[in-house]
Amino acid sequence: MINDTFLVSITTFVYFFSAFVFLISYIFKKKSAEKIALVSTVAGMAIHTAALICRWIHSYQMGIGHAPLSNFYESMVFFSWSLVFIYLVTRKQDTNNLGGILATFFSFLILAYTTLSPNVDCQIQPLIPALQSNWLTSHVITCFFAYACFAIAFGLSILYLLKRTKSKKGIIALLPDAAVLDEATYNMISLGFVLLTLGIITGAAWAENAWGRYWGWDPKETWSLITWLIYGAFLHARITKGWKGIRMSLVSILGFTAVIFTYLGVNYILSGLHSYL
Amino acid sequence: MYKKLYNLFSSTRLTIFLFFAIAATSILGTLIQQGLPIERYEQIYSQRVFSVMGFFDIFDMYHSWWFTLLLVLLSINIIACTLRQIPRIIRLTSSGKNPTDDEIFAASRTIKTWHSNRDIEALELQATKILTSLAKTPVHTKKDNTEYFFAEKGKTSRWGMILVHVSVLFILAGGMIGMIWGYSGQIILVEGESADTFSLFSGKGTKELGFDIICNHFSVDFYKTGMPKRYKTDLTIVDQGKEVMTGAITVNHPLHYKGLKFCQATYGIADTSSFQVAAENTVTGEKTVLTLDKMKKKPLPNSEIYFAVAKLLPDYKGRGPGVLGVLIEPDKAHDIFWIFKDKQTQRGAFAFRLKDYDKAYYTGIQVSKNPGTPFVRAGFIFMITGFILSLFFTHTRIWLRIRDTQKGHEISVVANASKNQKAFKEKIQGLAGRFQGDEF
Ligand code: HEM
Repeated sequence: MINDTFLVSITTFVYFFSAFVFLISYIFKKKSAEKIALVSTVAGMAIHTAALICRWIHSYQMGIGHAPLSNFYESMVFFSWSLVFIYLVTRKQDTNNLGGILATFFSFLILAYTTLSPNVDCQIQPLIPALQSNWLTSHVITCFFAYACFAIAFGLSILYLLKRTKSKKGIIALLPDAAVLDEATYNMISLGFVLLTLGIITGAAWAENAWGRYWGWDPKETWSLITWLIYGAFLHARITKGWKGIRMSLVSILGFTAVIFTYLGVNYILSGLHSYL
Repeated sequence: MYKKLYNLFSSTRLTIFLFFAIAATSILGTLIQQGLPIERYEQIYSQRVFSVMGFFDIFDMYHSWWFTLLLVLLSINIIACTLRQIPRIIRLTSSGKNPTDDEIFAASRTIKTWHSNRDIEALELQATKILTSLAKTPVHTKKDNTEYFFAEKGKTSRWGMILVHVSVLFILAGGMIGMIWGYSGQIILVEGESADTFSLFSGKGTKELGFDIICNHFSVDFYKTGMPKRYKTDLTIVDQGKEVMTGAITVNHPLHYKGLKFCQATYGIADTSSFQVAAENTVTGEKTVLTLDKMKKKPLPNSEIYFAVAKLLPDYKGRGPGVLGVLIEPDKAHDIFWIFKDKQTQRGAFAFRLKDYDKAYYTGIQVSKNPGTPFVRAGFIFMITGFILSLFFTHTRIWLRIRDTQKGHEISVVANASKNQKAFKEKIQGLAGRFQGDEF
């Protein structure tokens, strides 16, 4: 059996290459570079998917079979997979390959950290009984898809702020209109919001089966609600009040901070029932 | 006054405020651990801080009066907002009812107007064709020599957002109902035991089940690492002398009976375990095997010393099973030490070794009743349905009018979509262009 961590290392390089070529195609507006970047992204995705499948099969060979979504290493690998996946699915709405640059670059960063950091244990571990649930699998998948949308929206918001504050110079001048960035951020956040809603619902269904209650206000649950409320406020402000601009990009950045806190902060700073991830 | 209040409660300004207020205050409860015994907080905080926090129920803030108030305000906000939105949606979805409204064809809304000299039957046929290609049954009306066509698709998608908003009400209502009328607790059973009551969490006493629950069998499988893989309780429920249900519960697979839910929560080693400990008097060479129940002392032979087993660990730091032994000597403090299978532990004149033990597990079953569950579940389904309706479907409408003017038949087209307005108008413009060029 091929070693899945080796495949993940290859993927890391492929995504780096994709991000680089996307950047070139963006700066020099070259269609041919865009094609190369796209092919490379799809190839990276294929290797990445193969890594997930290998790991899955491997866990069955070890007699502790479960989907590779159960510890910190696996969740990081899946998070980066989700980023590229969401990008490929929403590619039609992408402008100037900005989504492509952001998705592949973030994926590269996450994978590089995951593979290089000594703090991330890449062993396949057995699952305690509470985690053996299809609801949990759906929960993890939908949540990470949502996080991927929010990560891309976060990147777009940063670019928006750059564009608005120092629009005249260098590479930033190449960015599309602020209004286009604003619209792209909104699209990503609406998709992310629906996915996060699904994620919270499947999570509640899991909690109901495993612990006999939908909602127990444990820190992880509460932080996912906080994230949901921030993005909910974003959508209402934008749709019904027509709020746009710097204010909205700051809310998007605040929302992503809450995402990071839900994902990492709760485990490392607060403690709770979810402390396995 | 009434109007003002209604405006406030149906405003999204209030929604945004409430969202941020709920988010911000929720953070507090994740920083201060919730639901500890009240004495703990008294130790941590000074008297002043403690009494202020107590007033605001900070130690159980998600059930406090003010947090509940925020949720109630949000519910009122949603109700008011939905009531305000419904007339608008009814208006938007009933445009087919007045097909001869000329206002619709105001110049600012028309996406294409042109003149044609072809005969009216051919134009009618084409108009019907074009509209049928977009929606199934176009409405064709004639009034004063003017022809009106209308077609629409995806009307229900307009209700998607209403459904999402209403679903939140269901979930909040379900949560409230659960908070008020729900309860939960735990039953601890050893194989063969039965129970007709359970102890409520948060120390509120016990409650009658109204039937008997029997633990027939409990089993647990382990991974090679010693981590539990699966544990399972086989249960029988006996109601008024009749066996009404037999089944198994495992983690993530609960059982339901009479509105109560039984979840496999924990397991552990029961006090009914018995142990065989070999004790050797290293002075006299005398050997005995003591058979002990947990926490029941027995005298060591030919001495005034008593021995008892206080605790069993199935795996003591990777050394295999270990029991905590206690030596009780007159006028002396108790001596407490670990005893293992692989090696003797020497204490005074005696050397102890764990020979065997007969381990009995207990199973911890969580019992809960939540009458809010159907509401929450309905809310979840509505929310997902609402999102699907509004995300994957679009309400599109097309109006077409043919009227006589001096320049011939004037044809005007108006189009509207609930999403991606621009793309839809471009598409219709293209179709109308083909109509005009007689290519359709
Ligand atoms: C927890 C409660 C709520 C949730 C989950 C929620 C959710 C949503 C979502 C997902 C959207 C669609 C956003 C989009 O299209 O991108 C939306 C739109 C909207 N919401 Fe809410 N909402 C909530 C509370 C409220 C309240 C209290 C109000 C009333 C003041 C409100 C008023 C609106 C309005 C007017 C729209 C636009 C509808 C349309 O364009 O058809 N929402 N809401």
